[in-house]
Amino acid sequence: MTSASAGGTPHHVMVIDTNRCVGCWTCAVACKEINNEPLGFWWNRILTTAPNESTTAAPPASDNIDVPHGVYPDLELAYLPVACQHCNDAPCVKVCPVQATFRRDDGTVLIDYERCIGCRYCMAACPYGVRIFNWGDAEYAPGGIVGYGRDYRTADGRLVFTAERPKGVVEKCTFCVELIDTGQEPFCVQTCPIGARVFGDLDDPGSEVSLLVNEGGAVQLHPELGTDPNVYYVPVRRRVARET
Amino acid sequence: MAASTASVPVPAARPGGGLRGVRLWYVLLALAGLLGVVAWIYELQHGLAATGMRDVVSWGMYIFTFAFFIGLSAGGLIMASSAEVFGIADLKPLARLGVLSAAACVTVAAIMILPDLGRPDRILNIFIHPNWTSPLIWDILIISVYFTFSVVDLVVLQRHESEPSRLRKAIRVLAYVGLPTAVLLHSVTAWIFGLQIARTWWNTALMAPLFVVSAILSGTGLVTLLALAAQRWGGFALSAPTRRWLRGFIAIALIVDLFFVGCEYVTVLWGNVPADRSALDLVLPGGAYAWTFWAEWMLGGVVPLAFLLAPRLRRVPGSLGLAAFLAIAGVYAFRIELVVIGFINPLTQFPPGNAIGTYNPATSSFELVGRYSPTWVEYSIILGLFALFGAIMTVGYRRLFTPSAAGHPDLGRAVPGAAPSVSREPGGGATSPSPASDEQ
Repeated sequence: MTSASAGGTPHHVMVIDTNRCVGCWTCAVACKEINNEPLGFWWNRILTTAPNESTTAAPPASDNIDVPHGVYPDLELAYLPVACQHCNDAPCVKVCPVQATFRRDDGTVLIDYERCIGCRYCMAACPYGVRIFNWGDAEYAPGGIVGYGRDYRTADGRLVFTAERPKGVVEKCTFCVELIDTGQEPFCVQTCPIGARVFGDLDDPGSEVSLLVNEGGAVQLHPELGTDPNVYYVPVRRRVARET
Repeated sequence: MAASTASVPVPAARPGGGLRGVRLWYVLLALAGLLGVVAWIYELQHGLAATGMRDVVSWGMYIFTFAFFIGLSAGGLIMASSAEVFGIADLKPLARLGVLSAAACVTVAAIMILPDLGRPDRILNIFIHPNWTSPLIWDILIISVYFTFSVVDLVVLQRHESEPSRLRKAIRVLAYVGLPTAVLLHSVTAWIFGLQIARTWWNTALMAPLFVVSAILSGTGLVTLLALAAQRWGGFALSAPTRRWLRGFIAIALIVDLFFVGCEYVTVLWGNVPADRSALDLVLPGGAYAWTFWAEWMLGGVVPLAFLLAPRLRRVPGSLGLAAFLAIAGVYAFRIELVVIGFINPLTQFPPGNAIGTYNPATSSFELVGRYSPTWVEYSIILGLFALFGAIMTVGYRRLFTPSAAGHPDLGRAVPGAAPSVSREPGGGATSPSPASDEQ
């Protein structure tokens, strides 16, 4: 992981290889743990899809997860983990009336918990539906809170994570800002049991993410919207000529 | 009420019914307002979890009623400005009433944003850290301008009543500024939705024109209802030519409104893009929100048009008031449909959908297709705000349309009944029961 010490701000990018993802939800649960997400909060979730399917075009195979698309024996199943896409041209940043949600120079989109007025315009504007609002008092499962459990502020002092959720503000995936600022990988990357997630500096041409984005054919979600996300997906590679 | 005693009234001699009626009205308004305040305090304690909104449908009744009230505010400026700009003298008697309603509607709409905020205590951040790319900031700006404008216009129109000659030019200037300001207000409010690439149901260039025309429709309808109410209870004189203008305004606005909505439908149906179709299918007959379709097209569309235009129906007593009310209801249905369908239409087709942000062991924490039904907290706050509108209108009307303002200080202004207009406009209104019966 390149950090600021390497000279210049890194361009943080995550690449998710959908060939590898098995839909085990480890990343989503790990995310919930490390970020002290209350019950009902999922910053990260794993959609059940068909391979390389647009999220809006095809009808779902079922209302439930893990149900393959198609009719036996021609069944298809793939998974699409979706959290904040950390867009370079983020609709949420554009609509926030008070600049509470902002894009850092490294490409990370964050929310200032102390400035958000709770108007939820960002939730209306986000095409990926990844934002969570603190509707009431946070509830936790018995056994209490694990995870960071402490506040985290950016270099310019903005509170972008707090374990004690303030009622009435919006939150979402932070790319684990607490970890990446100390040169570690986001927790979902660290915990993925199949190594489907890669995190790194897109400005470093030798990094694994650069190879996957520039040569591995990794794509963004909803590229047609021009939001230019910093999360990329390696499409499912099909075997050639299944029939004949 | 007791208004049919058409002779020049002596306040002391009038039966107490009028005054008692007003007192009862104020008590009802106060109760509704109190309910709203109690509900808001409850919401502040429990957070927005007290509402029916969740992460999939994250805007609800507050926002669509806000958009509705912004639209209602159009009537005033349209009345006052059209009277001047297009020289429609018959609309002039409605100018003050209209501008008063505009100021009241905008005030109520602005307040309505507060209970929708998760952190109303941080409202000043809007002025400390404004983000100029946000249509919400533009809207706050134009709402402030519009409110200020309405108040100034009202003051000028009111002064003009007592000293007619001096302020003619000011009224003309205000009229010419008023129309573009009103158009901008409704356009910016439309852009809150229309500019969002995330929601195909909203993302159409037609949104601003649609908001402008539906605002003209509901705003004119509101002024009509207010004028009819003022005629019944406040001695306001609504002449036959004025009624004809109102009739025409509402009919044309309604036709254009339905035309615009129809253009949207055709575009979506012909294109058949899945994400657009899934939204429209919720609205069209057979969909989960088909009632909004019937409310817009039948109850708020064909029926009021029939009562406005069909030669036999338009002569039915109360047809104008009924048509105005139904048209307004249709516009409210449109606002509900616009906001709620925008959220319910799934951003992703794939299970499990989006997290909803609260935990309920009986159901999933995810929703593929959103759900929304307002809670008692939302209904109560909205009711309280309707009451606030009623209170502003009643107090404002009684203050502005006093006999003294019309140049009859001897009558005082304790009388809420029919008196003042009799002397102000001898020919127009209160020649006993006739205005109520001929074409209401």
